[in-house]
Amino acid sequence: MDILSGLMHGFAVALEPANLLWCFVGVVLGTVVGVMPGLGPPATIAMLLPLTFLMNPAGAMIMLAGIYYGAKYGGSTTSILLNVPGESASVVTCLDGYAMARKGRAGAALGIAAIASFVAGTVGVIGLMLVAPPLAKVALAFSAPEYFSLMALGLAMVVLLAGRSMLKALLAMLVGLWISGIGTDPFSTTSRFTFGQLELLSGIDFVVVAIGVFALGEVLACMEGRGESGSLPVPKGLRNLLPTLQDLKDCRFAFVQGSVLGFLIGVLPGAGSTIASFISYGVEKAVSRRPEEFGKGAVEGVAAPEGANNSETGGALVPLLTLGIPGSGTTAVLLAALVLWGFKPGPLFISENPNLFWGLVASMYIGNVMLLVLNLPLVPLFAQVLRTPGYVLYPVILGISIVGVYSVSGSLFDVSLVVAFGVLGYLMRKLDYPAAPLILGLVLGGGMERALRQSLMMSQGDLAILATRPICAAMLALAVLILLIPLFNKLNAWRLQVLE
Amino acid sequence: MKLRIVSAAAALAALGGLHLPAQGQGFKPSRTVEAVVHTGPGGGSDVLARAVALMMEKEKLLPVRMQVVNKPGGNGAVAAAYLAEKKGDQNTIGFFTGVWLTGPLTSAEAKVTLRDLTPIARLVLEPAVIAVKADAPYKSLQDFVAAAKKSPGQLKQSGGSVTSRDNIVRQLLQKHTGAQWAYISFPGGGERIAALLGGHVNMMVIEPAEAGEHIRAGNMRVLAQVTEKRLSGFPNVPTLKEAGFDIPAVPQVRGVVAPPGIPKENVAYWEDVFQKLTKTASWQKFLADNQFEDGYQDAVGLTKFYDEFTGRMRGILQEAGVKLVR
Amino acid sequence: MKARNADLWSGLALAVLGAYIIVQASGWDYTGPDGPGAGFFPLWYGIAMLVLSAVLVASSLLRAEPEAVDWRGAGRAAAVSAALAVAVALFKLVGFAIGFAALAFFIVLVMYRRPWPLAAAVAVGLAGGFYLLFPVLLGVNLP
Repeated sequence: MDILSGLMHGFAVALEPANLLWCFVGVVLGTVVGVMPGLGPPATIAMLLPLTFLMNPAGAMIMLAGIYYGAKYGGSTTSILLNVPGESASVVTCLDGYAMARKGRAGAALGIAAIASFVAGTVGVIGLMLVAPPLAKVALAFSAPEYFSLMALGLAMVVLLAGRSMLKALLAMLVGLWISGIGTDPFSTTSRFTFGQLELLSGIDFVVVAIGVFALGEVLACMEGRGESGSLPVPKGLRNLLPTLQDLKDCRFAFVQGSVLGFLIGVLPGAGSTIASFISYGVEKAVSRRPEEFGKGAVEGVAAPEGANNSETGGALVPLLTLGIPGSGTTAVLLAALVLWGFKPGPLFISENPNLFWGLVASMYIGNVMLLVLNLPLVPLFAQVLRTPGYVLYPVILGISIVGVYSVSGSLFDVSLVVAFGVLGYLMRKLDYPAAPLILGLVLGGGMERALRQSLMMSQGDLAILATRPICAAMLALAVLILLIPLFNKLNAWRLQVLE
Repeated sequence: MKLRIVSAAAALAALGGLHLPAQGQGFKPSRTVEAVVHTGPGGGSDVLARAVALMMEKEKLLPVRMQVVNKPGGNGAVAAAYLAEKKGDQNTIGFFTGVWLTGPLTSAEAKVTLRDLTPIARLVLEPAVIAVKADAPYKSLQDFVAAAKKSPGQLKQSGGSVTSRDNIVRQLLQKHTGAQWAYISFPGGGERIAALLGGHVNMMVIEPAEAGEHIRAGNMRVLAQVTEKRLSGFPNVPTLKEAGFDIPAVPQVRGVVAPPGIPKENVAYWEDVFQKLTKTASWQKFLADNQFEDGYQDAVGLTKFYDEFTGRMRGILQEAGVKLVR
Repeated sequence: MKARNADLWSGLALAVLGAYIIVQASGWDYTGPDGPGAGFFPLWYGIAMLVLSAVLVASSLLRAEPEAVDWRGAGRAAAVSAALAVAVALFKLVGFAIGFAALAFFIVLVMYRRPWPLAAAVAVGLAGGFYLLFPVLLGVNLP
C-alpha cells in the first residue's frame, strides 16, 4: 500500500468517533501520567491492558500510543514549574525551564515546550510514516561499538554543561558513572557496590536519583529562606504568560534539530529519550550564539530537549513496528500488548496489518494536535500554580515525589534513597557542583560500560574495532572535537588578548 | 444393630463434615489474590501472570480477582524476598522463572530459594531454537560447530547474562564438541535480535515465539531446536539429539510458588486450580500461541525438579567459570 | 568556615570515594574469560575520580577568596532533611497519611513560623488530598 493511500485509509480509521474518543482519552491520561513523577507510561499501559480487551485493537493501540506521547507533553509541566522531572526525559527541561520560571517566565517556558513538542511529535510521525522500513535497516547496522561512541558523544556533552567549574562538572559526572554501576554486573553476575543490600542488586533507579537531586534538593535549598512565602514570581502580563514571537524566532533551529535528532536516536533500540534530550540540548548550546544563557533560562534550552523527547516516540515505534524489536520500556509494554491481542509484530507486521499501522499513524497526527490545543490554553492556568504559598507548595512537592518514587517500585528503601539523594542534591547546590553532569553520567554510564565490553568481546579485546567501523569512528571523532571546544575557547580568548 | 452403627457413623461423619471447613478444608481466597512477578510491566513473567489472570476470570476458576504486583529487582531476588516476608499470607502467590533458581547460586544477596517458599506447580517449559541469519553459510548445527572449531573464539553468539539459558546451552555444546565461540551479553531481547540481524553476531538461542515472525519474513534460519521432541511449529528442524548432539535440552521454566508457612490444604487448593487451568481450552491456545510446552508438575514434582535442576546448574556454571556462592 | 574549605572537604570526600572504588574494583576481575571483567570500568573511573579530586583539593588550597556560609540556612535545611528521614521511618510504622501529615505540620510550623492551627489545617488537608487522589482515584498505592 503506498503512502498516500495508506494515509487516507488511516485517517478514515482514526476519524471514526470511537477511535477519536480513545485518542482523546489516551492523550489526556498520558498528560496526567507525565505530570506525575515516577508513574510512567509503561506502568499505566500495563494497568490498562485488561481493559483493552474490550476495545477493538486499533482503538486500543491508538489510546496506548496517546498515553505514550501524551506523557512526554505532561512531563515538562512539573519540570518547569517545580523542578520535579515528571518523566526521566524531562530532566533536561528542568535545567532551563525551571530557570525561566524563576525569572518569571514560566508561561513562556510552558508554551515553548508545548509548541516544540507539537512540532517534534509531528515530525516524528512523518518520519515513522515515510522512512520507517529503510531506517530500520540502517538501525540494524548499529551495534555495540556504535552505541559506545554514541554514549561517549553524549558524555562529551558534559563539557557543554559545565558551568563555571569544569573540574566539578567532571567529578559530578564520575559520581554519576559510579552510581550507574551499582548493582549486578550482567556479564559476570558479580554484585558491585551493593553494600550487602538486596534492594541494590538491580541498581538505583534513575527516577529515584533524578527526583532526589532535583526536586528534593531544590526544596531543601528553599528551606533555607527565612519563612517568606518563598513562592516563585508569578508571570505577569501576556508577554510572560505565553512565548513571544522573539522566543519563537530564537527557537527555529531548536525545533528542527530537536525533532530530527530525537527521531533518529529514538530509532536505535536501546537509546532512549533521555539521551536524545541531552544530546539535543548539547547541540543547541554548541551552535547557539549565546551559550552563556543556557542553564539560566534560554528558551532554546527548553525547546530542543522537549522536541527531542517527543519525536523520540515516533522514532521508538519504528523498530517496534518494522522489526518487532522494542526500543524502550514503553515500547516493550506495547509489544506485549500487541502479542496479547494476538498480533505478531515483526517485519511483516505493517504489510499484513495496514489498518492498524496507518490508523495509528493518522491518530498520532490527530493526537498531537489535540495535545497542542489542550496544553496551550492551559499554560496560563498552570502558571498560577506558582501562586501557592511556599508552605503548601513545598510539602506538596515532597509528597508528590515520595508517592511517585514509591509507585515505581513499591519499596520504602527507594523512598529513603530519594531522601538521601535529596540531601546530596542540596549539598551539590551549596558546593556549586552542577547536577546535570551527574544525571548524564548516571544515564549513560551503564549503557556505555555495557557497550564497551560488548565491543571488546566482539573484537576479542582489540580496541581497534572502535576505529575501524565508520559510524563508530565518526562519532568518536565528533566526541573528541567537542571535548576540545573549551580548549578552542581558551585559545581564542588568549589570541584576542594577545592581539589587543 | 448394623443400621445403628451405620447411622451413628453417618451422624459422626456429618458432624465431622461440619467441623472440617473451619480447619481449612474449604479454603478459598478471601480477597483479591496478589500475583507477584519479578519483572516490570511488559516483561516475560508479567505478561504470563496477566494472561493467567485473564484466563482465570474467563474460566471462572477463582472466586476473586487476581492482580499482578510487580516487584522488580535483583533478578528475582527482590520478588522472592517479598514472598518470603509474606509468611502465612493465604492470598498471595508468585510466578517464578529460571532465574529464581539460579540467582541464589551466584548472588550472595539472593538468599531466598524456592525451597524456602512453598512450591505449588510448574506450569510451562519454554523451549528455544538455535537461529542464524538467513544469509549465513550454516545450513545445520554441525556446519556452525565445524566452523567454530576451525576458528576458535571467532564466531559470536548473542544472549542474556552468563547464567541465562542461552549461555548454558553454549557451555554444554562447547564442552560436548570441543568447539569454542564467544558470547556477548545483551540485556534486552530486542538488542540480541538486532545484533543477529545486523550481522554483528553469528548465532543466537532464541524463543520460538520471538523468532517466528523473522523466520516468516525470511530473515532468520533455524538450525536446531533445544527440546526433547519436535515442536509443532518447527516440524522440519532437528532437535539437538537428532542433530547428533547428545546434551540435555535445558528448558526455561515458569511456575507458581506461594509464601512459606501456609497450610497444606491451601497448597492442595492452588495445585487444583492450576491443574484445572492447564486443562482449559484457553490455556491450550495460550501454549500454542506462544509455542510453550506444557510442563505441568504438581508441588511434589516441582520440588524434585528443583533439586535436580539446581544440582545440574551448579555443575554447569562451575565449569563455565562462574563463581558460585552457595 | 570558608568556601575554599567547602571545596577542600568535598574534594577530600570525593578522593576517599575514588579510593574506595579503586580498592573494590581491584577485587574484581579486570579481564574475564569473555572480555573485560567487572572491575574494568570502575577501576578507571575510580582513578579518574581520585586524580580529579586531588586536583580540586590542591586548587582549593591555593585559592584566596573566602565566602561566608549561611549557617542558619544550612541548619534549617538540615532540620528538614532530618524531618524527612523521620517521616520515612514513620511511613513504615504508621503509613503515609500520618507520616506525611506530620512532615507537613513540621514544615509549616517550624520552617515558616505560621500559627499552629494553620499548620494543622494544611497538614491534614494535604494528607487527605493525597489519600483521596492516589489510592482512591488512581489506584496507586501509598507507602
